[in-house]
Amino acid sequence: MSEDRFLDQVTALLPALRAFGRSLCGDPARADDLVQDTVLKAWTNREQFQSGSNLKAWLFTILRNCYYSELRHRKFEVEDPDGVCASQVAVSPDHDAKLHLRDLNRALQELPVDQREALILVCATGLSYEEAADVCQVAVGTIKSRIARARDRLIDLLGEDAARVAGPAAFGDADSKELSQRSGTS
Amino acid sequence: MIAMSEKTKPEQALIAPVSDQVEQVPDWLGGRLRRMFSDVMDEPVPDEFKALLKQLEDKERGS
Repeated sequence: MSEDRFLDQVTALLPALRAFGRSLCGDPARADDLVQDTVLKAWTNREQFQSGSNLKAWLFTILRNCYYSELRHRKFEVEDPDGVCASQVAVSPDHDAKLHLRDLNRALQELPVDQREALILVCATGLSYEEAADVCQVAVGTIKSRIARARDRLIDLLGEDAARVAGPAAFGDADSKELSQRSGTS
Repeated sequence: MIAMSEKTKPEQALIAPVSDQVEQVPDWLGGRLRRMFSDVMDEPVPDEFKALLKQLEDKERGS
């Protein structure tokens, strides 16, 4: 792959990288720092990328490694590296769609990181189970069990409120129209 | 390490397809996760990234 082509493809994937980073750490500024590190590492190691393989999964792997590396460093700086105390903030029930999304983000941060990343990779980024297993360097079965635990915990955290507001099929292919129509209703 | 099972073109990479994950996660939860993700993807990419990419491009051309 030519350098320009590589950088073009990285550029096209920046939105997905930013979204993945933010889902992982829950902090927009920190996520963008992670993405910057990821881009630099990807560029430095671009010779290791095999043209024709999945660049998105490769970049997610690098971002994940950056995140874990940062977590290890933060352990020396703070007593609460995984946000255990920070996550004690109560999830207040509110039927506004935007607030629900913030609640989801907050609830996500309460999950163990291995469960959070598995859930995000498969359910939000659109990677297959196999690709997610590749990114996390575990077996597909492990990804599935982590997703199952993450799902159960999130349902528990978000509570019946979320399911009641959403209805059984309402969020199947949620888009902004659906959500904006629903916001304000209870 | 398991081989990557799919090739992803840039334009496809921007869209998170709905796949069999729905079987494991209820629709309302999967939908909210995708919405949360796509909300960030819809944000304009900050200028700092454009500057970084430009810097890398220039570096490559200059070397």
